[in-house]
Amino acid sequence: MNRETKSYVCPYCGETYDSSDGLKGHVFKMHKGRGLPTAEGRIKLTINKSEHIFQVEPNWTLYYLIHDKLGLTGAKQFCDRGACGSCTMIVDGRPVLSCMMLAIECDGKTVETVEGIAADGHPLIDAYVKHHAMQCGYCTPGFVVASKALLDRNQNPSEEEIVEALSGNLCRCSTYPQHPIAVKEAAGKLRDAK
Amino acid sequence: MSTNSQEQTARMLGMFDNLKADEYPLKEYKYIGQKGPRRIDGLAKASGHADYTMDIQLPGMLYMRLLMSPYPNAKILRMDTSKAEKLPGVRYVLRYDDPEVQKAEIIGKTAGFFGVDRPLSDSAHMEGELVGAAVAAETEDIAEEALSLIEIDWEERPFNLDPVAASDPSAPLSFPERYIDGNHWNRGAYDQLTHGDIKKGFAQADRVVEFSFKRTANTWIGPERPCGVWRWNGDNAEVWLKHQRVHLPKSRMSEWFGGIPMSKIEIHSPYQGASFGGWCQIDWNLGPLWCAAAVSKRVGRPVKYIFTRREDFFGGSMDEGTYIVKVGVKNDGTITAVDVTLYQVNAIWPVFSPALHIHDNTRVQHVHGHTKSIWVNKGHTVPTRCEMLPPVLAQTMIFDHVATELGMDPTELALKNDGCMGHDMEWAREEKEKRGFPVRDSLKECIEKGKAEFKWDESWHKPGARKLPNGRMHGVGFSWAHEWDDSSGSGEFAIRIERTDATATLMAMGADNGVDAEATYCQIAADELGFRLEDVNYNAQVYRGFYRMTPDSSTNMSINGWAVRHAARILKQKILESATSPSSPTQRGSFQPAFPNTKPEELDIKNSLIYVKSDPNRQMSMADFVRLAGESGPFATDEFLGTRVGWSEPLFASGYHVQYGAYNPVNPRPRFCRQAHFMEVEVDTETGEVFVTRVVNVNDVGKVINRMSCEGQQYGGSIMGVSRAKLEEVVHDPVTGVMLNGNLLDYKIATMKDLGPIGTILVETGMGYGPYGLIGIGEDIGTVVPGLLAPAVYNATGVWVDEMPITPARILKALGKI
Amino acid sequence: MKEFKHFNAYSVDEAVALMGRYGERASVIAGGTDILGKMKDAILPAYPEALINIKTIQGLSGIKESGGMLRIGALALLADIADNAIIKSKYAALAQAAGRTASPHLRNMGTIGGNICQDIRCWYYRNQNNRFSCLRKKGGRCYAIKGDNRYHSIFGGSVSGGCFAVHPSDTAPALVALDAKIVTSSRTIDVEKFFEVKPVKTTVLKGDEIVTEIQVPEPVAGSSSAFLKFALRKSIDFPIVNCAVMITSKDGRVSAARICLNAVHVIPYRAVKAEQVITGRVIDEAAADEAGAAAVSEAKPLEHNKYMVAIARTLVKRAILACAGK
Repeated sequence: MNRETKSYVCPYCGETYDSSDGLKGHVFKMHKGRGLPTAEGRIKLTINKSEHIFQVEPNWTLYYLIHDKLGLTGAKQFCDRGACGSCTMIVDGRPVLSCMMLAIECDGKTVETVEGIAADGHPLIDAYVKHHAMQCGYCTPGFVVASKALLDRNQNPSEEEIVEALSGNLCRCSTYPQHPIAVKEAAGKLRDAK
Repeated sequence: MSTNSQEQTARMLGMFDNLKADEYPLKEYKYIGQKGPRRIDGLAKASGHADYTMDIQLPGMLYMRLLMSPYPNAKILRMDTSKAEKLPGVRYVLRYDDPEVQKAEIIGKTAGFFGVDRPLSDSAHMEGELVGAAVAAETEDIAEEALSLIEIDWEERPFNLDPVAASDPSAPLSFPERYIDGNHWNRGAYDQLTHGDIKKGFAQADRVVEFSFKRTANTWIGPERPCGVWRWNGDNAEVWLKHQRVHLPKSRMSEWFGGIPMSKIEIHSPYQGASFGGWCQIDWNLGPLWCAAAVSKRVGRPVKYIFTRREDFFGGSMDEGTYIVKVGVKNDGTITAVDVTLYQVNAIWPVFSPALHIHDNTRVQHVHGHTKSIWVNKGHTVPTRCEMLPPVLAQTMIFDHVATELGMDPTELALKNDGCMGHDMEWAREEKEKRGFPVRDSLKECIEKGKAEFKWDESWHKPGARKLPNGRMHGVGFSWAHEWDDSSGSGEFAIRIERTDATATLMAMGADNGVDAEATYCQIAADELGFRLEDVNYNAQVYRGFYRMTPDSSTNMSINGWAVRHAARILKQKILESATSPSSPTQRGSFQPAFPNTKPEELDIKNSLIYVKSDPNRQMSMADFVRLAGESGPFATDEFLGTRVGWSEPLFASGYHVQYGAYNPVNPRPRFCRQAHFMEVEVDTETGEVFVTRVVNVNDVGKVINRMSCEGQQYGGSIMGVSRAKLEEVVHDPVTGVMLNGNLLDYKIATMKDLGPIGTILVETGMGYGPYGLIGIGEDIGTVVPGLLAPAVYNATGVWVDEMPITPARILKALGKI
Repeated sequence: MKEFKHFNAYSVDEAVALMGRYGERASVIAGGTDILGKMKDAILPAYPEALINIKTIQGLSGIKESGGMLRIGALALLADIADNAIIKSKYAALAQAAGRTASPHLRNMGTIGGNICQDIRCWYYRNQNNRFSCLRKKGGRCYAIKGDNRYHSIFGGSVSGGCFAVHPSDTAPALVALDAKIVTSSRTIDVEKFFEVKPVKTTVLKGDEIVTEIQVPEPVAGSSSAFLKFALRKSIDFPIVNCAVMITSKDGRVSAARICLNAVHVIPYRAVKAEQVITGRVIDEAAADEAGAAAVSEAKPLEHNKYMVAIARTLVKRAILACAGK
């Protein structure tokens, strides 16, 4: 309750009522089944298999949270408008653009970044190095993450499937031809390991 | 080979600005030319641990953004920053009329031509120019919001967007504060080029081919946005900067704030998210850096300025403009005269004649080229992957128009006119012999190899003659140029042998631009020293130390390659001399040499082992030879362990190289290495869409050092070239002069799906001026390939598209369908 | 981005209540790939005070067939629609359209509801900091008419004549071709009547109304559909022209045709004349070509977009032929 104006404020959505009965009715109608209200902006994320709890502002993108606040600077900002793939992360198993996702909407999600993929010793890393699938390196983490997402769901991708999966990642140095070679080699290593 | 390090030094000095072949190449190569060497930067980049300036965050750091002019040609009459200053989170608003800003020194000189004026001006000459105010705030978002709260009364002035229109005397002044006599400002040593007598040349011709074409604005798109961080540590400046040649900003900065001694400027060059020239050629991003420095001093916190992606679009590539061409040619394909005029947009560094490549590359004697650099209300244009864009584009268009005019195979036409600086191949042959090069016909070899790989003879046909089963028209195109390493400059390298493990450490300035140059230098050093590659490391010196030319694949590999080799050769002799001489005497007497009673010329090094050539069983590893120093030195360890009592002096050498390159006005270097490129397209004549189905690149690099890096440049240049030819165009609104597509969605660079396979062939004729006969790769392909698309489309359809990029709209128009 | 309040809605009622409370001051966010771009560039005169997240509403992302129709939750992701076996086999135009939208990443974020409700891409409208306060922002005029209109409408402006920005969706024309219905929190609308051009709006949705489901009737026997997209790049790009067609054939002749072009007009453009031409015909190159010509017979191109007419004509022809397996 806001004592100054004597209005009753819903802790879930901020709607105000004149009476506590009015507020109660609203909460039962609108927010039935919800748990206790939590602090606004409090989110839980599992990042590279570690659990984190953050307090985020609504206008923080997932990229900003992970890159600027957590300090995992692998993901990069090339276009910051969802057109280049350099900020790719895997969220709940899907490759997504972290610069176009709000952190506050990621409560309870699982995130994989390039650092986690490298720490796990995924064969993609070595394959990328070996086949020079990089030059300046700025777009490279985005490609590695998108490739990893592909290999998670398809361990024997054709060249066409690899190109399709990476078609949302831009590389200005234009290393494109080297990526399918690296991805195929990593795929082979994954299959052999089974 | 001489075994005396002094003689190696003398040879080094003798090679300066060499105008002949490498007299002392190695007899055999182990790592040079190999495909295998691992990228030094590979793991850091692939695993996300490579840090770029955009990733730098310091405690207490503020974020700075600058105001963009909404008008293409305007002056600030009055500016109210009070609302911006009051926004929570804003820490400082620096204004153009601040006394320190007003009396700031000219903050940068761009290649000596002219300076960029005050760090914050009160007038703008393009929409989006950073003028008026710089805001420092706790977050980038707050700084951005603060900018929108600044209220300005502008005086709007008429503007120009097209160079031909702007060159008319009645056109309004694009930049009245600087160019008061009109928009055609031209300066530069290379803007006019005349050889022979073109009247005479045209008189000799059987036909004259005239055409003009237009290259619209395009730009570099460096993935990492321009940014920099300034922190004062007392009166020391610590700077992180996205810049591929950090030594240049450092010398500018030393002039700021009454002068900062260079020894007090520490400048970091972390990994670089590509520049392709771009902002590094313009001192324009030094304005924001100056503002960051000034504000940082006032508020006592580090400041990071960041450009938005849109702000990165404001500069452009220097091939933008209108080219007007007239060529005289004989019926047998001999080109007799070339006259090219280029109306070039806003080029500042440097301005080249559009006929330069014709002169350099061919036997055409009568050549005239004139670049009129016209100022319009857009950003500066600079080398974008290469400064030779205009002359290369002109050469490609000239040859392809002439080939189609004569109905001649363009590969034949190229061979017919190949030459050097207006001389024919016979002259070139004599020059090659005189200068000690192998006598090979580079263009012929490149063309033969390329034609075979591309299956040219089955693919080439008359224009518009081949329709495919899928309904599209098939076409092929060909283009060629010389390979170049035109750098004028100098480079230094040092190598030391580490006490701890006897590995070799190369030392030179760091400025990674992704071409894996560091690994390349290690390959050279390893082969020269006789070390295993894993025993050679590169240490990028962060802010002081041995200066090398950057960016270093194309043109600068030659200078840097020489410097590494010189250092390595001198050092190797020092090692061998040290191995055979007594070590420095002490009061107790000197240490015995590792190889007593042996002369240095009797030794060699292989696989990091020193051995006697005539008796290889007498050998010692470098690790055993280089004894520890200090507390773990010879006295402490050897007497206890009963090992050899010995010691080696510090082993260190530096090398350097200077060259004029092709810019030497008195003694230019004729270029003998060539490159050839082939492209196949399918044109959908109902929609105007062009599919680039195949590209083959053949580059005579003289000598391959880092094979995968060279191939990487062939991929990179082809795709960028196709992208420029087909997709890339900066669009301005004709009515307001506002840039319409300053983002990566509306400005299009190729995705992985947008072209077919790319073939890469490397030829090694050894006719380069670099060490081992090498010449550069890197700039050239992205510069030559764009011109390929128009002739390929012509071959498919029988129509010329005279404007780049070659969009569906332009093809349909050329086909007469709209 | 500037600051804003954020709400997670856990039911349709909650979302509707919040939208009612905030009115024009709030925006709904689903995949976020459109609204966040608009906010980052601050293109509108007024910045949203609040975002209402509807991804937290359960039960709106399913894809199933029941009751003789395909029912797709508004929050179904484009990637899932493109990969769905039923949609690929029976509602091919929709699977193809969803699969060609944007990029693989964006298809894993973007919803079909968001795709049909998305805002225009006109580069005047989308210029930073509301540089061009145009008709769609309740401003004075359309800047594309005298400016660079290479991607704008070839069939004239909006109902009130002013705006020439095209509708950019790839799935919308497929839904029109497949004769879908849009179910909202308060009503069910034929997809063709769903689109409208007004300041800051591209649909008929009221301020407190959201799309909950898309229903596509099962195509009758003898039907097949196809979708073609023309863009400068093979990925990421919005369409310059696209076309979705559903053809029903009986005894070797076309008994019904639904042909929809998009990115050519302010709303998806049903090429009625082309449908009339092709109905009753055997599908061959000549018939399809005639239909293509009919589809653009009422084109009124602007200075820079004449090429789109040729492309639209060609896509109609080829989409018809694709339906016939040619």
